Amino acid sequence: MTRKSSVFLSAIAAQSAILGLLLLHAAISTRTHPPELTEKRALVKALHLTDLCLFTEARYTRHLSQADLSTPFQDHPISLEHFPSGSFLGAPENIRKINEELD
Amino acid sequence: MKSWIEKQKYIIDFTLSSLLRRKVKNIGLLILYALIVFILASVMFFTHAIKKEASLVLRESPEMIVQKVVAGRHDLMPLRYRDEILKIRGVQAVEGRLWGYYFDPVFGANYTLLVPPATTATEQAETEPMRTVVTENEHRHGPEEQAMPLVGAETIGAGNIVIGNGIARVRNAGKGEFILFRTHAGEGMPLRIKDTLSSASELVSSDLILMTEPDFRRFFGIPENYVTDLAVSVRNPEELSTIAAKITRLFPDSRPIIRDEILRTYDSIFNWRGGMMIVILSAAVLAFVIFAWDKASGLSAGERREIGILKAIGWETSDIIRMKFWEGAVISLTAFLAGVILAYIHVFFTHSLVFEPALKGWSTLYPQFKLMPFVSAEQLTTLFFLTVVPYTVSTIVPAWRAATIDPDAAMRHTGE
Amino acid sequence: MIELFDVRKVFNTGKPSEYSALNGISLNISSNKVTVLTGPSGSGKTTLLSIIGCMSRPTAGRVKLSGREITSLPERFLTDIRRKTFGFIFQQHNLIKGITALENVMLPAYPLGERHGPLKERAMHLLDRLDLSRKAHSRIEWLSGGEAQRVGIVRALINDPSVIIADEPTSNLDTKLSYRFLEIVETFKKDGKTVLITSHDPLVYQASVVDEVVRLRDGRLEGEAP
Repeated sequence: MTRKSSVFLSAIAAQSAILGLLLLHAAISTRTHPPELTEKRALVKALHLTDLCLFTEARYTRHLSQADLSTPFQDHPISLEHFPSGSFLGAPENIRKINEELD
Repeated sequence: MKSWIEKQKYIIDFTLSSLLRRKVKNIGLLILYALIVFILASVMFFTHAIKKEASLVLRESPEMIVQKVVAGRHDLMPLRYRDEILKIRGVQAVEGRLWGYYFDPVFGANYTLLVPPATTATEQAETEPMRTVVTENEHRHGPEEQAMPLVGAETIGAGNIVIGNGIARVRNAGKGEFILFRTHAGEGMPLRIKDTLSSASELVSSDLILMTEPDFRRFFGIPENYVTDLAVSVRNPEELSTIAAKITRLFPDSRPIIRDEILRTYDSIFNWRGGMMIVILSAAVLAFVIFAWDKASGLSAGERREIGILKAIGWETSDIIRMKFWEGAVISLTAFLAGVILAYIHVFFTHSLVFEPALKGWSTLYPQFKLMPFVSAEQLTTLFFLTVVPYTVSTIVPAWRAATIDPDAAMRHTGE
Repeated sequence: MIELFDVRKVFNTGKPSEYSALNGISLNISSNKVTVLTGPSGSGKTTLLSIIGCMSRPTAGRVKLSGREITSLPERFLTDIRRKTFGFIFQQHNLIKGITALENVMLPAYPLGERHGPLKERAMHLLDRLDLSRKAHSRIEWLSGGEAQRVGIVRALINDPSVIIADEPTSNLDTKLSYRFLEIVETFKKDGKTVLITSHDPLVYQASVVDEVVRLRDGRLEGEAP
């Protein structure tokens, strides 16, 4: 019969090894900029893009950094918003500056 | 040293035997714990990777965007602003950007319509060779086809559009097909899909529709002397804020947005103070409180008796505490590692499957992007100290007092 | 050889519930003999046993183990002496439920950190001596009362102590099993171990294997003036 502690220690060792491999995967795949990244950068540069296409449901979530001052971000930062995605995003830098006193 | 290891192994043996006595409870606890770590780690991996990627990608954004604001809203930018701004010293170039939104009532999706800057194709040709960004429906060309990004207005041609991969997916439309749009005046306007943007670039291009300037103006009815906003580039990046100040002085109704602000905006998206993040975090914190409560509410009479027996048969106080340490560590370490591993797979191999419904929100058009696995060691360490350590400590602390009882207690409570 | 000089033990000192369990006991317990402490409930048998077994300290007086004063030693040393010198057999068996007999037997050896193979072998060998090898992998709660007590005995032997201490070992056993216990005590004696038993069971203190009987009453040796 295998000892319980041996089973446990091997399980921990195996888990650590898997995590190690994943971190190695992370290190290798981000060490050099892969072609996908270059491609995105090229497109941003070529098209003068300003934002990530994360949420397409509302103007101020699609072009977060271009949002004007009268968007729902005027509310308190921890308020839940009409659009679910709005509640994930922090307000853009230039809007936050105006609202700093609210915090 | 060898006997020290052997001793730890014995104590782990006993701890495991003792945990296995309440199999259902402890395995349940382990799964719940791993789930909490999984959610926290997934949020962590996702937000960190997207922030990192945003900072790398958006570094290529225009140095400054100038909007015109009327009655608290963006308004069309008259081209004379461009000519005036161009006269400011230090300004290298000012280009009008033409872009806007179109709601597709058939699919219930929002698109971003955009006119590619006229200079792009030639400008790009001189600088660096780029791989193709325009591809056939969903299938990218092989790496040997090192072609130019064919996104310049002149390459699109009148009556044609290039669409983002997300739109192609939602509409199930491909090269050569026509999409019927409705213009501002209510007329039908069929445009032919000339090409689609690659799926690899979806994070920035999923909902884009590229078209020529005349088509765009006809579509939205924007007069010739207006653009959406201006992209300004300067000679010396250090002068950006000075130039921004000059622009606001010159045109008090304009609003410059500097690239640094864009980058900082994306650096702080998904921060812990955001609404949904608070909900996730507080759920996790509550779960931990339940754990800690269960542990810290003290030892059961049975556990106390067992500690008494162990003391009576020759275990020291420190051995008891070591055993309790392992009791906490076995659960929390296993759960932490399992949670982190699953989170990594979840975020970087399955495209954050679990978060998708929340991230999608109400949008019909949801980009499918593969995040680059940027992992922050600092965040992992923080997560470790936020999960493993409190749990282990809350296992040890209540046992501390019980561990110092006299060894004869086991004898006395039965004896005379 | 265990020597006690004027040992006293007071519980709950300074509280209204204060009471004196031992009132000055001086006693010599010889090696390789079977000694029984007897007396009515509350006479201080168990308290005395726990002091001798280094489980608790006397309030006053001294205890010497093979000529070495042990009352003033710090806990670490006391624990060390206890687990190397004494093996305990408890009235309620005090076995840990939910784990196997084998694990229970090996528990006192865990903090010593010896190698797993030899320890397990020794445990199996000792279990075998008391006809328990078939039950080695059974959980404690599946064992009968007699089997549980024998597991408790094997556990007391695992670190090969020179003194075996048994607190009311026959109180939960029937006559047949009590005789079986005395047979086992007989083998201890043969192995050269010192045995110390508390019991108010005549079957025990009148047994032929017993060398000496010490009678306690009200925390004193019987016959001594209060």
